[in-house]
Amino acid sequence: MTIPGLLLALELSGHYDEELARRLQQRDERAMVDLYDRYGRLAWSVIVAIVRDTSLAEDLVQETFLRVWTRIQFFDAGRGALGPWLLAIARNRAIDHIRSVRSRMDRGSVELDVTSHPSLFVDMERDIFNTDHARLIGAALKKLNANQQRVIELAYYEGLSQTEMAERMGQPLGTVKTWVRTALSTLRDQLAEVVR
Amino acid sequence: MTHEELREEYGAFALGVADEMARLEIAEHLGRQCGECTAAVRQALATVAVMSEAVATAEPPARLRRRVLDMVRKDPKRNWALGLIPWAAAGILAVALVSVGLTGRVAQKDKDALARLEQALQVLNDPAAKDVSFGDPQASGRVLVSPSRGVVLIAAHLPKLERDRIFQMWVIPTQGNPISAGTFLSEVDDTAVYVRRGAVAGAAAIAVTVEPSGGSAQPTTTPFIVTKL
Repeated sequence: MTIPGLLLALELSGHYDEELARRLQQRDERAMVDLYDRYGRLAWSVIVAIVRDTSLAEDLVQETFLRVWTRIQFFDAGRGALGPWLLAIARNRAIDHIRSVRSRMDRGSVELDVTSHPSLFVDMERDIFNTDHARLIGAALKKLNANQQRVIELAYYEGLSQTEMAERMGQPLGTVKTWVRTALSTLRDQLAEVVR
Repeated sequence: MTHEELREEYGAFALGVADEMARLEIAEHLGRQCGECTAAVRQALATVAVMSEAVATAEPPARLRRRVLDMVRKDPKRNWALGLIPWAAAGILAVALVSVGLTGRVAQKDKDALARLEQALQVLNDPAAKDVSFGDPQASGRVLVSPSRGVVLIAAHLPKLERDRIFQMWVIPTQGNPISAGTFLSEVDDTAVYVRRGAVAGAAAIAVTVEPSGGSAQPTTTPFIVTKL
């Protein structure tokens, strides 16, 4: 079997990411290229959508992949969800940046970074990123009302805390929390076949 | 906060936008491997992951692929130790930062972790240091040995220890009996970053065994990590 044929077979069998993670753990440089080819565009899209600066986005994408490379030994290749972990790192890098620019974070505190815990990214749908799921999330977002859509946008793209959203929108904190909770609950229900 | 109250916060936590009290509370539950919180946060993280599919796709510049590859490409002219620093630092700092995140202040444990980072960097920065990776079924990681400064062990997938057991590192000399290089425990995610300071000249291998909690004068079990130098 040729190598591309092997890769295709692995991908079709849903074990491509598992094999990719193992190669990264073995410090296979070529695996980094394969990782980039698989998730680079998605990471770029997420980061650009948040920071809206392509020059900065290049640095943040680089940081994202470097973080995967330096933390991969702590990743469970057999059960882990490589894509969701990498995308979470990408979004965190971008959100951290815009928060630091806005000097919004408390100087005395260090935020717990869920992406530092690869163990949280296990037992997810293996093929979580595909066109069917893209359609599903598109349809799911349309089920949200205007306020719910707004809080999800403020959270996902701007990283505003619920207190900050309440201030921005001029609404009571409890109301904003309800919108966030209901929105995420709706999305989860709509994505039930993907999010187990 | 009760689990009933926390249930309202898992989504915000996964998005990284939970307010301080909920964030610390959930982090504390995750730190002690609370089953309910771990399962709920995982599900919320999967939801957030799928949300990235709704982002308008854009094409990155072609040069970015090269930049990413260049980061990890071996370059003989480059000081190899510099390339290892993030790897070791990430492990040690993660311990410190998570603890700081949980408590909101720098505790003694975190000071210890940062001190270990400083010690590890001293080993990493020695041009004479050797770097050996290992990938046994029971553990994977790497050992860095500076003959004059000490040993750094960075390991993942370590075996679970019984309550009265501890890991013990050994320096195996070219001749003679193994020399104890101290004892250590793993983190909750079965990883460890252990630094042993001091000269280790003449070492032929580094090994790790499981020993009674007080440590042993000589290995009493078969080493599950053996890295020849």
